[in-house]
Amino acid sequence: MAYIVSPNPHIHAAVSTKKLMLDVIIALCPAAIVSFLFYGLSEIAIMAFSIASCVVLEWAITKYLLKKPSTTGDLSAIVTGMLLAMNLPPTCPLWVVFIGAVVAIAVAKMTFGGIGQNIFNPAITGRVFLLVSFPTFMTDWTVPAGFISNVDAFSGATLLGQVPILGALEADKLVNLQTLFRNIGGSAGEISALALLAGWVYLLVRKVIKPWITLSIFATVAVVAGIFHLADPAQFTGPLFNLLTGGMILGACFMATDYVTSPMSTWGGVVYGVGIGFIVMMIRYFGSYPEGMSFAILFMNMAVPLINMKFHQRKFGRK
Amino acid sequence: MSKITFAIGGVHPDDAKLSRGCAIEVLPLPQTLYVSMAQHLGAPAKPIVAVGDKVKTGQVIAEPGGFISAFVHSPASGTVKSIGPRKDLAGNNVMHVEIAVEGDEWVEGVDLSDTLVTEIPEDRAAILDKIKACGVVGLGGATFPTHVKLNPAPGSKAECLILNGAECEPYLTSDFRIMLERTKEIVVGAAIMQKVLGGCRTVIGIEENKPEAIAAMKKAVGELPYDIEVLPLKKKYPQGGEKQLIQAVMHREVGSGGLPISVGAVVQNVATSLAVYEAVQKNKPLITNTLTITGNCLPVEKQHNYLFRIGMPLSYIAEYAGGVPEGAAKLISGGPMMGRAIANLDAATVKGSSSILYLSEESTKRGQESFCIRCGRCADACPMGLEPFLLNRLYKAGDVAALEANAAQDCIECGCCLYSCPAYIPLLDNVRQAKGMALGAIRARAAAAKAAAEAAKAAADKNNKN
Ligand code: SF4
Ligand code: SF4
Repeated sequence: MAYIVSPNPHIHAAVSTKKLMLDVIIALCPAAIVSFLFYGLSEIAIMAFSIASCVVLEWAITKYLLKKPSTTGDLSAIVTGMLLAMNLPPTCPLWVVFIGAVVAIAVAKMTFGGIGQNIFNPAITGRVFLLVSFPTFMTDWTVPAGFISNVDAFSGATLLGQVPILGALEADKLVNLQTLFRNIGGSAGEISALALLAGWVYLLVRKVIKPWITLSIFATVAVVAGIFHLADPAQFTGPLFNLLTGGMILGACFMATDYVTSPMSTWGGVVYGVGIGFIVMMIRYFGSYPEGMSFAILFMNMAVPLINMKFHQRKFGRK
Repeated sequence: MSKITFAIGGVHPDDAKLSRGCAIEVLPLPQTLYVSMAQHLGAPAKPIVAVGDKVKTGQVIAEPGGFISAFVHSPASGTVKSIGPRKDLAGNNVMHVEIAVEGDEWVEGVDLSDTLVTEIPEDRAAILDKIKACGVVGLGGATFPTHVKLNPAPGSKAECLILNGAECEPYLTSDFRIMLERTKEIVVGAAIMQKVLGGCRTVIGIEENKPEAIAAMKKAVGELPYDIEVLPLKKKYPQGGEKQLIQAVMHREVGSGGLPISVGAVVQNVATSLAVYEAVQKNKPLITNTLTITGNCLPVEKQHNYLFRIGMPLSYIAEYAGGVPEGAAKLISGGPMMGRAIANLDAATVKGSSSILYLSEESTKRGQESFCIRCGRCADACPMGLEPFLLNRLYKAGDVAALEANAAQDCIECGCCLYSCPAYIPLLDNVRQAKGMALGAIRARAAAAKAAAEAAKAAADKNNKN
């Protein structure tokens, strides 16, 4: 009988790419479910269509274009599909969703060689492309009928969009700690801060990700918003408002922490997080878009190779 | 809960010490023993017996083949049947002395009684001579000749002797059992080494998953008249790695390419300490050691800790224990993290043998390799603070200078990287090659520098003469 002869180690931790992605999917579920409850069937359709598009596209590209074994088994295409759907308004037409999926999978992921090789986070690339190309669809915040009524929903617009209309002072008043527990409107992934944070904590507990990137984004946003707000509360919204609105939590917890497009080392991750936090606040305060999370993450994605060159693990026995 | 451990990386595999309850049993002698001449690090030993010679148990049959080498003794009494190449664990030919066993008649002067001898000889040189004459080598894995390690080069001073009782590899229980059953002998052995090293601080480090061993050691240390500490360590692999253990105990880091003594440390395994005791106090050469038969496809009642004689074929021991179990897909000598797959079960045991480990296919099969997802788990796990994903990439690119700059040569081959990789990338396989390339470059540079220095010196001498 022939026994296996191969070098050490002879055992392996109970971890695989698929298991990690499954954990991300599980972590996204609370927020997805909340969005179904508030936005109803149309949101379910967007989610299902987005996931299906991403998976089929990846499968087709590996099979017919790259002629390689399919990589859809690692479930990362499902994660992209979920994240993309959660970044879109609930009224988004399905053909727009499909274009987003094409950009995410075909352009952002597969042209670079698939999982692990891409520079930009696929779902964010898809969203930003749509935002630039189809601004009307992407900023249509009419709230479709959900399974539970939207008493708390801020009528048909994201809070961030209200800043220029109401002014910073009024907008700030709309957000307080209770916002955590409410429907804050916006795209599917922006409704419930609490559901998103629950998913993030799940990822931390399962040791899928480390907290440093997310925390440094939050801290930077709080500090930058705090300083500006103190200087001129009439013009600049405060820390709490900025932490709890828009794509902040979804982006900081799930998009900026994407393994592939974030730095490898802890300190590199902190620099990356600080960069995102700073850029997003600059866009929110001074940019032409009300929301800047996607742009901030994309921008810092580009800096990752540089950050990785600068920040390394501390080596044993070397100063 | 002890918090004492090394600072960088490490992993927490299930410790699976299934055979911890199995008391050490003595294996009967087989008809034939095959004694390897390469049981230690360094030059192989040179046989000094001839075919047909009668030998007694404990008689020297081979002499050191160099400065770093060791004596080898006959593990039984009988007749030398042949001297020649025989396949080792990996299937490579190694010189062996074959002995037809006729009995177990020992050479003169060996104390075979169980009486504990606590009086330590005064003469340091005499102790070292005895350790050398008895063929003692490090039994923690590297099998480095002990008398060399205990005799640091002039100018370096031992500040701390660390006894390695971490046994951080999953499954293995032989160190655990000797710590329970030969506790006082190990402590006396430690005291002997402490004396040889000039009375430095002496610490026995034991991982917390062996509370019985910690208690037994503490009691023995309390009852014996030496100044030795017992230090419980947190359970984390590779705690028993020399550099890691030194850092855990002394908070000092041995630099790249450096020896433990460069930070004042000497590390010896507990099994080595026992061998030192037997050599110095009992005049008994190193021909026995303890080995665990275990695995996840072997029922616990079939698991054993055996006292074996060197030269026993692994297959003989496996047969004696009931044969290779159904469902064993991989046979390993050593632990599952750093041990070596057994390609040839007929290979003979050597001084450093520690186990026959049977792993089921499910537990040992490597998953299909996929793309690196840049999760950083390999870097988080690496106890040397390396970035295996990067070394893997640089290795594939063949960039030796970058490999050296990123410290590929520091890899201790612990396996934590591959163990942790969700994409099943053969990180250690490649980093091992990369390490070879980086070390090659470093050595080539050193050799070139030496040659240049010599040439310069020769030229200078010539000039002076003129
Ligand atoms: S095998 Fe080498 S590279 Fe891998 S974790 Fe261990 S020391 Fe680091
Ligand atoms: S653990 Fe594997 S997948 Fe993760 S960074 Fe290292 S090599 Fe890449």
